[in-house]
Amino acid sequence: MLLQLNNIFKWVNSAGQRVFLLKDINLEVEEGEFISVMGPSGSGKSTLLNVIGMLDTFDEGEYQFLDEPVHSLKEKNRANLYKEYIGFVFQSYHLLDELTVKENLEMPLLYKKIKGPERKAKVADMLDRFNIVGKKDLFPAQLSGGQQQLVGVARALISNPKLILADEPTGNLNSKQGEEIMELFKELNDEGVTIIQVTHSEKNAEYGSRIINLLDGRMV
Amino acid sequence: MFKNNIKIAWRNLKKQPFFTFLNTFGLAVGMAGALLICLYIYDELSYDKMFSDADRIHRVNVDIKFGGEARNFAVTPAPMAESIKNDFDEVEMVTRFRTRGSMLIRKSDARANVKEEGSTYVDPSFLDMFGIPLLAGDPKTALTRPNTLILTETAAKKHFGIEDAVGQTVVLNNTENYTVVGVIPDFPSNSFLRNHSIFLSMTGFGDAQIVNWGSNNYQTYIKLIPSAKAEDMQVQLRGFLGKYMIPGVQQFLPGITEEQLIAAGNYVVYSTIPMTDIHLHSHRVAEISPNNDIQSIYILSFIALFLIVLASVNFMNLSTAYSLKRAKEVGVRKALGSKKGELVRQFMMESGVVSFISLILAIGIACVAMPFFNDLSNKDITIPYLSWGFWLVVLASTMALAFLSGSYPAFFMSRFMPIKVLKGSGETSVGGGKIRNALVVFQFIISIFLIISTIVVYQQLNYIQSKNLGYSKDQVLIVDDVYTAGNGIETFKEKVKQLAFVENASLSSFLPTPSDRSDSTFAPEDGATEQENAVSMQRWGVDHDYIQTLGLELLAGRNFDPLFGSDSTSIIVNESAVAIMGLSPKEAISKRYTPDMAVENAEFFTIIGVVKDFHFDSLRENIEALSLHLQDGARSMAVKVKAGNFSNAVSSIERIWNDLVPGEPFNYYFMEDSFNDSYQAEQRLGRIFIIFTILSILIACLGLFGLAIFNAEKKTKEIGIRKVLGAGVAQITYALTLDFLKLVGIAILVSLPLGWYAMEYWLEDFTYRINIGWSVFVLASFLALIISILSVGYQSVRAAVANPVKSLRTE
Repeated sequence: MLLQLNNIFKWVNSAGQRVFLLKDINLEVEEGEFISVMGPSGSGKSTLLNVIGMLDTFDEGEYQFLDEPVHSLKEKNRANLYKEYIGFVFQSYHLLDELTVKENLEMPLLYKKIKGPERKAKVADMLDRFNIVGKKDLFPAQLSGGQQQLVGVARALISNPKLILADEPTGNLNSKQGEEIMELFKELNDEGVTIIQVTHSEKNAEYGSRIINLLDGRMV
Repeated sequence: MFKNNIKIAWRNLKKQPFFTFLNTFGLAVGMAGALLICLYIYDELSYDKMFSDADRIHRVNVDIKFGGEARNFAVTPAPMAESIKNDFDEVEMVTRFRTRGSMLIRKSDARANVKEEGSTYVDPSFLDMFGIPLLAGDPKTALTRPNTLILTETAAKKHFGIEDAVGQTVVLNNTENYTVVGVIPDFPSNSFLRNHSIFLSMTGFGDAQIVNWGSNNYQTYIKLIPSAKAEDMQVQLRGFLGKYMIPGVQQFLPGITEEQLIAAGNYVVYSTIPMTDIHLHSHRVAEISPNNDIQSIYILSFIALFLIVLASVNFMNLSTAYSLKRAKEVGVRKALGSKKGELVRQFMMESGVVSFISLILAIGIACVAMPFFNDLSNKDITIPYLSWGFWLVVLASTMALAFLSGSYPAFFMSRFMPIKVLKGSGETSVGGGKIRNALVVFQFIISIFLIISTIVVYQQLNYIQSKNLGYSKDQVLIVDDVYTAGNGIETFKEKVKQLAFVENASLSSFLPTPSDRSDSTFAPEDGATEQENAVSMQRWGVDHDYIQTLGLELLAGRNFDPLFGSDSTSIIVNESAVAIMGLSPKEAISKRYTPDMAVENAEFFTIIGVVKDFHFDSLRENIEALSLHLQDGARSMAVKVKAGNFSNAVSSIERIWNDLVPGEPFNYYFMEDSFNDSYQAEQRLGRIFIIFTILSILIACLGLFGLAIFNAEKKTKEIGIRKVLGAGVAQITYALTLDFLKLVGIAILVSLPLGWYAMEYWLEDFTYRINIGWSVFVLASFLALIISILSVGYQSVRAAVANPVKSLRTE
């Protein structure tokens, strides 16, 4: 088992009222799964993804990731855990504008303190694998949306994560670009990477092996 | 629209209280500082302008090089005034001063004396020349008779009412009887006569009537007719050397001619200086009152300018930085059809509101700080609330400042493209980063420059104060006006010397700290009439104990000795004197010199000792030649007290004094204080530097702080991405802080050479000076870095620990 959420609650206090963002979420994810999280706007999809990605905290419940109790880990250990095992892909790519494609790919490796030669080899591998060798010295603004997202996925993959979390990865792309990204996810999943994606599109959700529906913070 | 603009400006400012605080506070501090300095400068520039026809009054100066020494005098020979009046049609009136220093005065029937700080002989034309009104007395006859005097209001009131003062008899220094013939108002603190309260009639002073071109003792003021120019007089005035001076001194130096004088490398040059220029431009021997230096006015003007510029730059920086938050507002306004000009007006209005709030705050700060500033600058400045001119200038300057500092942010913000700022979260569409960085660098250049200046000024002051002066001023008490003891003066000295905690005591009018000075030209026994052999030396009357009391060091020969009856014709000279004579200290012993050049039966003095040079003038000057002579009677007595006994000493000596001469005031001061007083100008500069350096650093820090907030906000997304990709808090804090340290680093690189150059220039004025060491620059750089880390660090940490989820949310 990769991760397990037990009775997760998350809320904010608004005008003295407790507003639940996540309510009693129970979820088990096995390695190699491809899960699509669906639901209307404001249903808590992104919040759930952030909680799984350890970017956001929760108020109640237990979270085991590879048998580590995330809920009782210190901030630093938690950071080490997700640095090691989790990669993120965003709807608006979130590439750094002032860095080239190559430098963007290199960044997670820098933070993992990987040595220069190994870094170069990994970046070269990734550029090869995604067929973007020719674009390595371009800046994000010089790429199309699909290409930017490709770099985004490559960057998420570069440190060999077990889990990829994608928040509407095709939301800013046209249908052809979106399809290519989803095909890519499919391939990665076949290679054994676990993927959890948030999506609005039924068609994209079909790529997954399991669909979770959220409504007002609850799984339905 | 105007009202609407103000309303919206006010709301915007209220919405961001912290930003508004930073902005107004920075601006107010800068304005207050500049306001204080401007009032100070205004006061300094106003010296002697209160006299009627001030623009037509000039003083005659003379530059002399003779006997190995070049000196510039504010005084000229007694007959100068008469001659200049006779020779120049454009001279309407002349008057002379012959200062006498402090003086004891009492009513003829009173016993107790009152000490007045300044007294001077004046010609009868004095009142008319300066347009001074008489509060009592007859202006036509005042000062025309011998032994008459005029008092200032304050001095007169100590003895009589103003009305009944005229006709009274007063006794000066217990010996001279004078009749009061008039009372004049006190002189304002910005006049050259500010310290003078007794004006004696010159008509009774014999020396003033003698035609003697050989000595310079009279401050000579001339008033020109309205159409005349002083520049046109200079050539003819220089001709006074051949016309009057040479024939005048030929009685002492029979062979002398103008050609011979010039051929020997000597000169005598007469010139004039406008009276209103004296306070800031004249540094001559025998000024009536201590003057200031135009250089310090320039320095202060620069500091005032720096402060205003720093504050204004701050405003621009903070406003453009915070405009990020308002990009959306601009977008919406533009989308709703607002023209660029209207937006500019809106932003200018905000800048105006901030500036005027700052002005009110600044006047408050200046008000509170004024007493301290007056203390610091030794002035009596007040904010001229009732002067409409002041308000006009202040309001106009504030408006100009508001316009200047508001214009860049206004045009910067009004340029935002509505589509871009409305679509994105704003950060990419808001540029201007380079300009902001340049402004921060600029601010830090100024601040580091001021830090360097402050350190160097302080090091120099310390150096002066701790320098081995060649005499010991510590533990020395000076009892002033001891001549009032008359014949009891020696008894007084002996009694004081017997006190257990007194090491030694010496009677002399001449001290290494500011006191009497008198110089003569000495000629050697052989070749007495050859002017190139002449040595111009200070001639100080001292007693047997002088050298021990002040801790002077004898290099050769011996001290005066009561056992030698012939010591009344002995002199002790200093190293500089023997150097001018071209002798070594040992060779100089037994050489004979006379001050009575080319006179029959001249009195010769034998050199019996040579003392090591000691600093009796400011360290700005070289040590002059000096000779010590035995002399009875003195103005003051120096008492060397054993360590730790000052308060006992003072009270015991005072008791002896009061027993000996009851009724005479016991005046004393510490030599150390008197020494420090002579470096007041530097100390004042040092303190003013420190204060305004701190102010400018404060302002620069506010700017940096504001910019750090902006930068952290601008980089929120980047920080978020980096954190998600695994960057730690430390890494991000470091990266953010480093951005600013780079700017400070650039500022350091620019300001170090600037600071070095400016301070070398300042130090050039001192003959005895420090060398600027590298430690100054290390310290200044270190301070700048620490200060910037402190102001940026907090914001960087805050940005680094923020939750990335919030910043990465796609709206």
